[in-house]
Amino acid sequence: MKLIGTDKPIHDARGKAAGFVKYAADIMLPNMAYVVVVHSTIPHGYVRQIHAEKALALPGVFGVFHCFNTSERTYSHYRSNIAQELPDEERAFNSYVRYVGDRVAAVAASNQETAEKAARLIEVEYEELPFTTGFDDTLAGQNCLPGESPIRDEFSFDVGTAPEKDGLIEVESFTEIPRLHHATMEPHVCVADYDPYQQQLTVYSPNQTVHGIRIVLADFLEMPFHRVRVVKTTMGGSFGGKQEWFLEPTAALIAKALGRPVKLVYSRGEAMSCTVVRAAMRAVVRSKFKPDGTLVALDMDVLLDAGAYIGNSCDYIRTLSGKPFRCYRVPYFHYRGRVISSNTPVSGAFRSWSAAEEAIMMEHHLDQAARRLGMGRIALRLKNALLPGEIDRKSGVPLEDIRIYEALEQGRSAFHWDELVEEDRAFNTANPRFRRGVGVGCGGHGNTYYPRFNDYGEGRLSLNEDGTVQAALTLHDHGCGTVTAMQMIIGEVLDIPDTDVYLPEGDTAVTPVDYGCFASRTTFVLGRAAYEAAVMLRDEILERAAKLFSLPQESLYLKDSAVRCRNDEGVKISLAQLSRESIVKLKRNVSILTQFNNTSNPGVTGVHFAHVEVDTWTGFTKILDYLAVHDIGQPINPAMCAAQIQGAAQMGCGAALREKLTVDKNGRCTESLSKYHLFLATDLPDIQVKLLTEGRSQEGPFGAKSIGEVCYVPAAPAVCGAVNDALGSSLETLPYDPDCILKYLAKEREQ
Amino acid sequence: MTLHFFVNEKPIELETAPDRRLLDILREDLYLTGVKEGCAEGECGACTVLLDDQAVHACLTLAAQLEGRRVTTIEGLAALGELDILQTCFVEEIAIQCGFCTTGMIMSAKALLLKNPNPTESEIRLALSGNLCRCSGYVQIVKAVQRAAKELEAKRTCGV
Repeated sequence: MKLIGTDKPIHDARGKAAGFVKYAADIMLPNMAYVVVVHSTIPHGYVRQIHAEKALALPGVFGVFHCFNTSERTYSHYRSNIAQELPDEERAFNSYVRYVGDRVAAVAASNQETAEKAARLIEVEYEELPFTTGFDDTLAGQNCLPGESPIRDEFSFDVGTAPEKDGLIEVESFTEIPRLHHATMEPHVCVADYDPYQQQLTVYSPNQTVHGIRIVLADFLEMPFHRVRVVKTTMGGSFGGKQEWFLEPTAALIAKALGRPVKLVYSRGEAMSCTVVRAAMRAVVRSKFKPDGTLVALDMDVLLDAGAYIGNSCDYIRTLSGKPFRCYRVPYFHYRGRVISSNTPVSGAFRSWSAAEEAIMMEHHLDQAARRLGMGRIALRLKNALLPGEIDRKSGVPLEDIRIYEALEQGRSAFHWDELVEEDRAFNTANPRFRRGVGVGCGGHGNTYYPRFNDYGEGRLSLNEDGTVQAALTLHDHGCGTVTAMQMIIGEVLDIPDTDVYLPEGDTAVTPVDYGCFASRTTFVLGRAAYEAAVMLRDEILERAAKLFSLPQESLYLKDSAVRCRNDEGVKISLAQLSRESIVKLKRNVSILTQFNNTSNPGVTGVHFAHVEVDTWTGFTKILDYLAVHDIGQPINPAMCAAQIQGAAQMGCGAALREKLTVDKNGRCTESLSKYHLFLATDLPDIQVKLLTEGRSQEGPFGAKSIGEVCYVPAAPAVCGAVNDALGSSLETLPYDPDCILKYLAKEREQ
Repeated sequence: MTLHFFVNEKPIELETAPDRRLLDILREDLYLTGVKEGCAEGECGACTVLLDDQAVHACLTLAAQLEGRRVTTIEGLAALGELDILQTCFVEEIAIQCGFCTTGMIMSAKALLLKNPNPTESEIRLALSGNLCRCSGYVQIVKAVQRAAKELEAKRTCGV
């Protein structure tokens, strides 16, 4: 293959290096108004009055919008496709506010400074209600309105039959994980424009589904779909943080009311507290093992705090219940999920959509089980890891050539696990201050919505008059090289340079209806749609060439942007010539449209290994070595895969050791990166990546599987496991920050 | 105040409030949108530019500090449509994903290489420790700077 498997920079790398690429905040439209949102300062209550007179009197203010002068229509910030049945909980501006950060009003003005000043002049009178910020007060129903239950959703189910056999070893563990901020470097932004004469709305934002937003906006503003155009802008990072709609309905409503373009840019503080966070969760995991380490039964009881709005939480906690089956053989499974709603920032999607949280719970549990069983942590995982040919027992889907077993074995050797265990033992004996340890984390994920939804992808391709290719697929590149991957797939099939393929990103006016960038489906589903489309275009080209030049179609093939003939080396029809002659002589463009229906979801897994050193004086943990092994199938662009994996390791190290979005006793959330610590260039070692490419998928393009989310799943568990190994602890609450570690050590000294 | 300073070697005269942020002057008054706003409090480094060859946060630098001084932004590194060696190394080493941190990262690296043309890996990591990247593990970014240092050194040695 010429292109597949080669290392390529992202398609817009040069423009990004030059600072030329425009992000949504860089868009300037004539006559544009700047919008600033006023957020609730109380965690729970009713807005009784809004005094906007002083703000309206400020020169340059175009309008003040709030819960008493705008539509009472509601929407779901989580809605992303037409198949979902969801409660519409929110208004553009809410009179019943549920957290510090709820939108109550907004100002539109001629510039940002004026809008900010006017927003500060708006006075809001509230009637306060009791509120909660934690698990216990929320479970106790302290923020419930009359008739409300503290449990907003509860369900349980079994897979398999409960074992009756005696002689099983029972293990129980508890895990609590905090809220997380996505920390995309680009905060949330939306630019909306409205033409009152054509009644046409255009919305620009970095988002993961243009069509999902269109559904919400069309319904919310009572407009027909074809009058709502949503354009995905260059994405300055998402990780799930830009797949739920907090700015778009507000900006669109104001643009429509004013009949002029508006720009709404959230500050870092607003991005942290007024969009979505990863939900706080508590889990009790119980299991039964045979003495040889075979897992017989697994029971997970998960409590999720949705925060102020339920949003995706009912789906999220159900999705979590399927994750153990993507990695391990679980003969019997019992699950109970419960959702509560405190007066804290809204929970939502986060990279891997619950798989990372499940892995933190499960891997922590397995580490404790290994101790109980007197087994090595890798040996225990090998005993229960799924093998090629097994199925996902919950969904019934074949896992095809899943390579988690091989990833564990190869990683163990490449990381020198056994040697490190010995070295650490010697080191810890000789060093009273520093303690070293190793950790391993396994994680599995999916590649598509299937079988939850019947996933599909549409691709349209046409040949331009110069032989270059115009493509339309609905892509939402997050910066991980989606556009490049599709150019490579199409280029490979047609034997043209990848740069000869032009692909616009998601734009409801241009690209086909699509679910968006969710479920790690882009490379697997849309990549296959791109492949199918390219094969169809190739066949179309060869058919036209046969007709136009009276050649036998079965002997024609494409090479280096030209049609060639196996029987006659003299035949060389450039794609440009073919395209032009087809237009002129056959009176037809060379173009195709295809839809690919996806019916598989193979196992895609990864195993991460971490080696850490804990300073018992400061509680600070240093990552010494890190290896990520991924069962990826055919990588389309290996360097971009590695870059994503290393980024996931960085993010997972943060989740394990530092990241925690706290909410104070007044309901106010952390609003600054100075209090939310990310990993810096100085904090990380040279993260090693190993790609296992033999476990090809049946349906993915060239046998590819997903990578963007699965690579985040094993990261935090590996680091947590290493810390617990170093300290001989089984810390239950993340993150393992210096406070947590020093508290543990103090307790240890007392005993 | 009337402010006189240089941006990418061009003299600029601007009527501005003394407490206006350099970030707003660049983005809004001069349309140099390569400088990014990620936090407005000097934590993320996305707005890094050079002030007399030193890396500074444009979000924490005010107009009153700029009189007579030289500001270099990402747009000043190469002619329109071209890239300098450092920028090229970021592209070729696959050090760019979402790109929002990239321009600030490159400016921090630029300041480092101006001061220290042959930095060690830990010196590079330290120079970039004020620039957050959420997409990567910093591996390719460090490699890009290492390679740029080598290529610039080779260029100096050849006297090109």
